[in-house]
Amino acid sequence: MTVNRTGSVAVRRGTTMEVVPLKHYGRLAGAIVAIAAVLAMLWVFASSRNVDWGAVIAYLPNADILSGLLITLELTVLAMALGAVLGTVLAVMRLSTNPVLQTVSTTYVWFVRSIPQLVQILFWFNIALFIPMLSIGGWSVSTNVLVTPIVAATLGLGLNEAAYMSEIVRAGILAIDPGQREAASALGYRPGQIMGRIVLPQAMRVIIPPSSNEVIGMLKATSLVSVIGAADLLTRAQSISSSNFKVIELLFVASFWYIVATTLASIGQYYLEKRFSAGSRDLRRPAKLRTETEQ
Amino acid sequence: MSGARGDIVVEAIGVEKRFGDNHVLKGIDFIARRGEVTCILGASGGGKSTFLRCINHLESIDGGELLVDGQLVGYREANGKLYEMRERETAERRARIGMVFQQFNLFAHLTILENVMQPQIVVKKRSRAEARDTAIELLERVGLGDKLTAYPRELSGGQQQRTAIARTLAMKPRLILFDEPTSALDPELVGEVLDVMRDLAASGMTMIVVTHEIGFAREVADQIAFFDDGRLVETAPPQEFLTSPSTERARNFLRKVLS
Repeated sequence: MTVNRTGSVAVRRGTTMEVVPLKHYGRLAGAIVAIAAVLAMLWVFASSRNVDWGAVIAYLPNADILSGLLITLELTVLAMALGAVLGTVLAVMRLSTNPVLQTVSTTYVWFVRSIPQLVQILFWFNIALFIPMLSIGGWSVSTNVLVTPIVAATLGLGLNEAAYMSEIVRAGILAIDPGQREAASALGYRPGQIMGRIVLPQAMRVIIPPSSNEVIGMLKATSLVSVIGAADLLTRAQSISSSNFKVIELLFVASFWYIVATTLASIGQYYLEKRFSAGSRDLRRPAKLRTETEQ
Repeated sequence: MSGARGDIVVEAIGVEKRFGDNHVLKGIDFIARRGEVTCILGASGGGKSTFLRCINHLESIDGGELLVDGQLVGYREANGKLYEMRERETAERRARIGMVFQQFNLFAHLTILENVMQPQIVVKKRSRAEARDTAIELLERVGLGDKLTAYPRELSGGQQQRTAIARTLAMKPRLILFDEPTSALDPELVGEVLDVMRDLAASGMTMIVVTHEIGFAREVADQIAFFDDGRLVETAPPQEFLTSPSTERARNFLRKVLS
């Protein structure tokens, strides 16, 4: 059927018509359900007689808890530093033209990613069973003296992290237009200068968002070290609750501090992204600040 | 710039280049002299850009010799063989050869001013103050004195290419290689870049320009080198080349581009 459109337009011309936006009833219903669910959850927590909220508040600034938090933060920084440095080296090796370096890097990533983090931490903690003494020149020391729980945890978490960071750094380097390197070499930059002055600074804006995810993941992964008694936040909370039986309360206390730490990490990410977004139109405004706790 | 006008700056002797089975350069013999502008013409895939990139060793060569100011770039001669140099050593020699790319290749994370400053500081070890003065002077010379704090992406292609030329000039090169400097530009922006290049030529800079701009070649070039299928088919002054080319291939090429 054909409709005479010009005719109908001509009829309407001259009258101003009201524009009625589409009503999204589905969205409205969804919002109501979501709000109801959240309120119900809050009510369950707040009204529960099985949660001693006074104890939660009292334990938040507890000295043991705070020293545990400090260990958690320390482990996160050490493991991420090891992971980032080794990961960058692995990424550069993987992208080099030397097939041996490529293979070593690829194999490392494959091997480390294949073994659960918990197993790696336990392995480093028990390394003395495998290599009892370490000696350099005439100097030797028992491995157990050197590999404290903190060292074992740093190695277990950091060496594992390196495998993931290497993939992130590699993606960042690959995202840079080869013309940037070419221009730098034509200007007389040496290979190290090209990497340090031109490629990595630009790769940073690709590297930062997934790395921040890794930092946040690491903050929580440090809780794995409770199996080797590294006195981190969770270990401290559990040791308190094993004596006073306030299990849920102390898990809340630990969670509170994990949330604070990840929030601070997210804020750090926001400012880092801002700093490294120079010159890129799409990232002039970094992703809105969000408290990311997935993984 | 040292050396008198007319001294040989670039000398290629039987340069060979292969990409796998693809024989890209088949024995190129070529000379460019101080203060001369050479325009390299030819159809795409004829080896023009590859030859240009061999001059500063962005591409390695598979045979022959390439000398800049009488020195090998990227190679060292010993016992009748050419040994490829380490990247660090090559970098030193490259710094004397400027290059301007089709895609500009300005450093995207640096402002226009920093783009022109940083290579001077990193490669030439100049002080920040000195690098800054040089950069501002050169950017003003190419008409970008009011854009110092802009990032490359905020500029037009023509402005980016002029910045790239300033960046190269800041290194005080002995010669500048231009790899299709106007091919990525919108038609209305080609003129401003060619103007800068014309000024450079007039100032006595030695230039080798791979281009499709026949008009520029006619007006500015001292010699035209015509590449076809990996060979340097003909080298002649522009008037002679453009009006009475001596080879059939050159006549075919000119018929296509001039019609």
